[in-house]
Amino acid sequence: MVAQQIINAVSLGGVYALLALGLAIVFSIVGLINFAHGELMTLSGYALLASLVLGFPFPVAVLVAVSCGALAAVAMERIAFRPMRGASVTSLLLTSFAVSSLLKVIFQNGISARPQAVAMPGWMTGAFSFGDFTIGVGPSISIVVSALALIAMEVFLRRSVTGTAMRAAAEDFDVVRLMGIPASRIIATAFLLSGLLAGLAAMLWVAQRASVDPLMGFTPVLKAFIAAVVGGLGSLPGAVAGGFLLGIIEVLLQATLPAAIAPYRDAIVLSGVIAVLLLRPQGLIPAVRVQRS
Amino acid sequence: MPSLHRLHRAALCAALSGIAAVSTASAEEIIIGAATAQTGGLAPYDQPALAGLRMSIDELNAKGGLGGKYTVKLLIKDTRSDTAQTATVAQELIDAGAKVMITPCDADPSISAGQLTQPLGIPTLTLCGSAPVLTGAVGDVMFGTYPADNVQATAVADFAVSEGKKKVFLLTSPDSTYTANLPEYFGKVFEKKGGAVVGRGTFTMGQPDFSAEITNIKGLADKPDLIMTAAYEPDFPAFIQQLRGAGVTIPVYGADAIGTPTIKALGKLVDGVVYTAAGYAEPGSKLEAFNAAFTKYAGHAPESTYEVNGYEIGLILDQAVKTAGSDDPKAIRDAIANLKDFEGITGKITYAGTDRMPLRPVALMRYDGGEGKHVETLIPAAADVPAP
Repeated sequence: MVAQQIINAVSLGGVYALLALGLAIVFSIVGLINFAHGELMTLSGYALLASLVLGFPFPVAVLVAVSCGALAAVAMERIAFRPMRGASVTSLLLTSFAVSSLLKVIFQNGISARPQAVAMPGWMTGAFSFGDFTIGVGPSISIVVSALALIAMEVFLRRSVTGTAMRAAAEDFDVVRLMGIPASRIIATAFLLSGLLAGLAAMLWVAQRASVDPLMGFTPVLKAFIAAVVGGLGSLPGAVAGGFLLGIIEVLLQATLPAAIAPYRDAIVLSGVIAVLLLRPQGLIPAVRVQRS
Repeated sequence: MPSLHRLHRAALCAALSGIAAVSTASAEEIIIGAATAQTGGLAPYDQPALAGLRMSIDELNAKGGLGGKYTVKLLIKDTRSDTAQTATVAQELIDAGAKVMITPCDADPSISAGQLTQPLGIPTLTLCGSAPVLTGAVGDVMFGTYPADNVQATAVADFAVSEGKKKVFLLTSPDSTYTANLPEYFGKVFEKKGGAVVGRGTFTMGQPDFSAEITNIKGLADKPDLIMTAAYEPDFPAFIQQLRGAGVTIPVYGADAIGTPTIKALGKLVDGVVYTAAGYAEPGSKLEAFNAAFTKYAGHAPESTYEVNGYEIGLILDQAVKTAGSDDPKAIRDAIANLKDFEGITGKITYAGTDRMPLRPVALMRYDGGEGKHVETLIPAAADVPAP
């Protein structure tokens, strides 16, 4: 039982970490909390559905769906956020809300208000058994994919030139530009990565939920936002830590709270978030910020 | 002095609606206001129900209107699935002269609209809201149209007992009246008939992950024979996907909100799931004929029984206006409240002697091979139905 719940917690935390990292990558460079991040997930979900309906084999459909998420993120930056570059944080935030609402209405009226079932391949609903202990294929994939994605992201940011430039940009964008690195390329890459992470998270999300619906992006982006704030807004390791922490707390509360108190779970989680922020106002692993006079 | 203020406002509204009715409606016209969700979370339920209502209004208008006399002007406004917005648009519809109000498929927005129509005596019908507390919370103008939650739950419990089930796990969500109460009604009937509730779990609507709850179910010392829940989409697909994914094969029973194309499209995953409906299209039945006519009208087949339920609302109003012999809201209200054994499409509908939640048959369905198969149709004994 306990081991099982730990696996549940890690599996959910991994998805939250992917989402929070996607938000943090963009925030660390542009200073924008992209609330349309959830709609990138919805878009990937619909792309998966469309590819499956068109008869693509499952791996190809997943590839198409994730690429759609990544490309949509780049397009979103080009169309909605680039014209707003240099605008105030509030204007950027409102722009992201506008993009999010616009996409929701398009999904709802253009596709359907009703959730669409996505039939996952049969093996994904299977489970491995070791005596009393069963672990589902879905959660296992979720853990492996999140781990691989987080490692790949870390390697990219540490080892590649673009990655190094992005880390530098997160610390002091102006100096990076003075070094002759084109701002647009760094920002576009940040959005591409965030879209990629949204796409991957969407695949895990849809695999667990078996359906896509126009409003499905709301909960994940909210969780990702909470995770990113707890971890330290703009800090990439912080986002990952925050994501795992949130997932673990949610599962443990759900598992241990008596049924009478369980409905207050979200309230308890959010109280915990407030407590963390009271103790560490900058989050668990704060972002490095260069102070300029 | 809040009560005086409310009185003033009610009087003002009445006056305004009177003026509006005189200025916009001819003597032979009756305005029906539909404050329903065309966008947001309730839209998948409100849209089909409204499509059915629209069809019956179109047909009735072709025959001269309600009671053959009053041409219907159907005013539709979007509530965006928001309770506050429902009150706003309901007020707009009242101001436009609505003499009958149609409200969304959920108790909370229906109650918010009912707070406005109750003081004016405007009969108010929810599309497929089925919480039995709904009519009591508003007052004598509020009517349910779909079989009530406690009636549906009794039907499912009767069926579970007849199948020899002994132990149930109830999965509820406090987030809506429907998801919170329906499984509990089931539990009450089930216990009364010798069954036992061996566990309870809760979820938050829209939560991504059911794994902790499912692990708890797996860890129960007393293994349940079935899981009863009123979860619907997107929660129901998530729950069943993760439940089966964890290797749990316990049968899952639910109610009307999972009789939808989305759940059906889950295919094998939902095999064996039992749910309820307002009716079942037996070959040669009225409902089969309705389904064909609706397909012709809308260009697609009905998704669920919400279409026919919406259609029957039109028929009920027609009968009520006929009985009342006028378009006076209070007379229409009284006529609906006294309706007895009215022949609808799905069977007989009775309001007389109820607290304005209709007595009507409940069809039990079971998914099998990606199709909803009819199991039986019954009207539960009134004595078995738990109080709201």
